[in-house]
Amino acid sequence: MKEVMAIIRMNKMNLTKKALSDAGIPSMTAKEVLGRGKGLVDYSLLEGAEKGYEEAIAQLGQSQRLIPKRLLIVVVPEKLVQLTVKTIIKVNRTGKSGDGKIFVMPVRDSISVRTSENGDSILDEA
Amino acid sequence: MLMIRSIVRPTKVDDVLAALMEAGFPAVTKVSVVGRGKQRGIKIGEITYDEIPKELLITVVPDADKDFVIKTVIKAARTGDKGAYGDGKIFVSPVDEVYTISSGIKETASGETEEVKI
Repeated sequence: MKEVMAIIRMNKMNLTKKALSDAGIPSMTAKEVLGRGKGLVDYSLLEGAEKGYEEAIAQLGQSQRLIPKRLLIVVVPEKLVQLTVKTIIKVNRTGKSGDGKIFVMPVRDSISVRTSENGDSILDEA
Repeated sequence: MLMIRSIVRPTKVDDVLAALMEAGFPAVTKVSVVGRGKQRGIKIGEITYDEIPKELLITVVPDADKDFVIKTVIKAARTGDKGAYGDGKIFVSPVDEVYTISSGIKETASGETEEVKI
């Protein structure tokens, strides 16, 4: 089984929830987080700063602010990883930077607290 | 690819973020958490505080940069020269695949990249 950790835009949360449950993956954990990415480099701004325009220099160090995002954690069996990833990408892609990242990580075991069963049988099945 | 999860003091977060930016690892996710460590929380008089607020910083880096990033975080997050109880922990776990949503590009642990068709 794999853990799929996705960092997405806040306003895409409801669409993502719906798309995942339509795809047969209803269970998930979500959390409000703050984050930053590689950051956009605006080359016209850099050029301006090099030439010594003060407005451009003032805007330079502004990109490292932390932006509110949603962190989704879904644990799925091996065969559902591709479906989960594709569903999240399809809903969240706007093509601009800031759409987010998806990390896929191995998980040794999962155990249901209610029944103390373990293994793939307690996870979502499509 | 490795995921580095650092639990640091809330007061040290700005230092760590600045240090990571300077070191060339700008991408970070920050989560507010509460927790306790081996010291079983803090005991002040009669009262024990075992839900101490901390910040969890998540970064995903290439395998080769692991030690450098860990050193950067430790350097920025330690209090004083010797450090103190409660400075935090760093956990490292493997990441199999990384997808960038905006471009659909998939990176695997072995360094291959390909575009995902949706």
